[in-house]
Amino acid sequence: MVDVAVIGAGQTKYGNHPSGLKGMWAEAAERAFASVDRDFEPRCVDEAFIGSVAFGGAQLGNTAALLTEHSGMDGIPVRRVENACASSGFALRDAWMAIKSGQADVVVAGGIEKMNDLSPERRRFWLGVSGDTEWERLAGLTFPGTYALMARRHFHEHGSNHDDLVNISVKNHMHGFENEMAHIRKEVSFEKAQSGFMVADPLTLYDCCPTSDGASAVILAADHVVRQFTDDPVWLRSSGAGSDFLALHDRPSITQVKATQQAAKSAYKAAGITAGDVDLAEVHDCFTIAELMATEDLGFTGRGEGGVFAREQRGVLNQGEVCINPSGGLKSKGHPLGATGTGQAVEVFKQLRGSVEAPRQVRDAEIGITHNVGGSGATCAVHVFGRDRA
Amino acid sequence: MRSSRLWEGQSMSEILEWHGYFATFDEQALMIQSPFILEESITFGADSDYTTMTIAGLHLLFSRGIDVTKIKSISLVNAAAVKSATGVTVLSEDDSEDETCEWNLLVGEEATLVFTNDLERDLSFHGRADLESLDPTFAHDMAAAWAAELQTSNVSQGAYVSEAAYMEGANARLSFMAQSHDDKIVWPPRQMDADGQRLPEPNQPLMASATVESWTKLSAAGAPSEFALRAPVLGGIQTVFVRFEQGPCGVFLIADDEEYQPEIGDQVTFVVRRIYAQEGLIRYGMKAVPQRI
Repeated sequence: MVDVAVIGAGQTKYGNHPSGLKGMWAEAAERAFASVDRDFEPRCVDEAFIGSVAFGGAQLGNTAALLTEHSGMDGIPVRRVENACASSGFALRDAWMAIKSGQADVVVAGGIEKMNDLSPERRRFWLGVSGDTEWERLAGLTFPGTYALMARRHFHEHGSNHDDLVNISVKNHMHGFENEMAHIRKEVSFEKAQSGFMVADPLTLYDCCPTSDGASAVILAADHVVRQFTDDPVWLRSSGAGSDFLALHDRPSITQVKATQQAAKSAYKAAGITAGDVDLAEVHDCFTIAELMATEDLGFTGRGEGGVFAREQRGVLNQGEVCINPSGGLKSKGHPLGATGTGQAVEVFKQLRGSVEAPRQVRDAEIGITHNVGGSGATCAVHVFGRDRA
Repeated sequence: MRSSRLWEGQSMSEILEWHGYFATFDEQALMIQSPFILEESITFGADSDYTTMTIAGLHLLFSRGIDVTKIKSISLVNAAAVKSATGVTVLSEDDSEDETCEWNLLVGEEATLVFTNDLERDLSFHGRADLESLDPTFAHDMAAAWAAELQTSNVSQGAYVSEAAYMEGANARLSFMAQSHDDKIVWPPRQMDADGQRLPEPNQPLMASATVESWTKLSAAGAPSEFALRAPVLGGIQTVFVRFEQGPCGVFLIADDEEYQPEIGDQVTFVVRRIYAQEGLIRYGMKAVPQRI
């Protein structure tokens, strides 16, 4: 079966972006095209998949057609992919499958979200959009609340504590400080992160990712056309995905995310690796507790040991066995919902090619993964990237 | 300071705390009253009204072995919510001209209801129980928030539960009706299993107590838009994640007691209260109260 390579990747800076949807997407696509080592034109693209929750209302329907029209890809088959915060993780998976199936040779996967252009009257549009609407939302829960329930239960079952979450926040801000594309580029002290404004007890402001605008795009190519574009591809070795009940109360456990476990298991197996082989992981830390649980669910530490993993700084750049969120993660880099998954892929592509800012380069990185979660864990996509083809 | 009777001149039971209200009863009548007072008037708490009190009263009648299937009432009561929560049909005065109804529901001037099967009986509301004073500012702000929320122009932002969707789940929400499937109790109801079999209609009520497995208090700024007007008055929204004895879990708001800080392992029970208002309609549902109430 055909192998799939990443030949280019780019993104906008995350944050309060001055452009609208069309401008942001064009910027991300332009950077992705420019990152290809040999001349690349959008007319080379066979198909595109663009993730977006699209709830701000800017272009609710036919988002992908509008965006490809504004990035020189008009006329190709396109579609919008929606799986909440995992939208572009699944767009990436769809793009990978399109090449694996032999239907396409060059495919763009991307994502976009414009979140900060709402008036004060509309500012609650994004709250509680992707959780269980009939039960969780009507119990007053938005995602800070659902993740707070998971955090408190994890503390109770496994002896983790809020200081463990503080360690994650401090680490990700430290990593993101050097990332020119990050939304929040400032280091945060342990004491400051410890005493943040309480958002959803026990989670404080420093446990929560920001609301970001952003767009990201990666270009995938089949093995038989890769050399037309680059001699230095990053191989997308596998794609794993899983799902779980939408609402927390329907799940057997709220201290682990089954969708992540399923996605990781299938992605690792298909790539022929174990968690111990991973050098860097872009992990979906929409809340710090999400990263803590992900380190367990992705197999970097044992069940219930995510707190210890964070406490012992095992995910810190070039200190631990695996670097968790060298980009700063959602916490620092930002979280433009639909753009996050392929934004993670942009980071791994650059890390594996040694082209990120020098202070945050993971040394000797050979294998990286992305972990993109929809909502509180209803959907998850995990992708394994490598310098080597297999 | 609590009197032994809710009103004078009657010989009824000792006052009972029931679903967050005070109640007293005999064979012909049941009186139920809000435990809150504001400036000399008995008043409803933050999320109670005549509908929630009617549901509580009917549950008390049921608990005493009194079978009620129809009740004659007035328009202050949401008949659909009462039906979903109790199975009892509420007939308005117009509806019931040709229908006989053993039980009548009388609404007092203050936050008080009487269920009676003897309309000839002289019931007058004179007495008071020991009532909890509501902070006037809180009560005013909460009333104003509910009034604004009830405006038909008030609609949700983002996700939205339509009236049809709310009504589809009303039995599960208001009476905890669950499905029995493959030796398991399923709640909230589910449509189909992995064998492609449709699950049966909910016909088994969950036990109305549960254990707190987690909890949070969400800041007002993070509340969904359904709660945007009241969350600042309440200082945030408190939610518990609970497990019922039969296995299912659920998430619920806390009722009445904004000071209650749950702990994992606490036992809670449930009462029907207002959840929110949308498009001019109040949506009702179960809220949790600590077992001690």
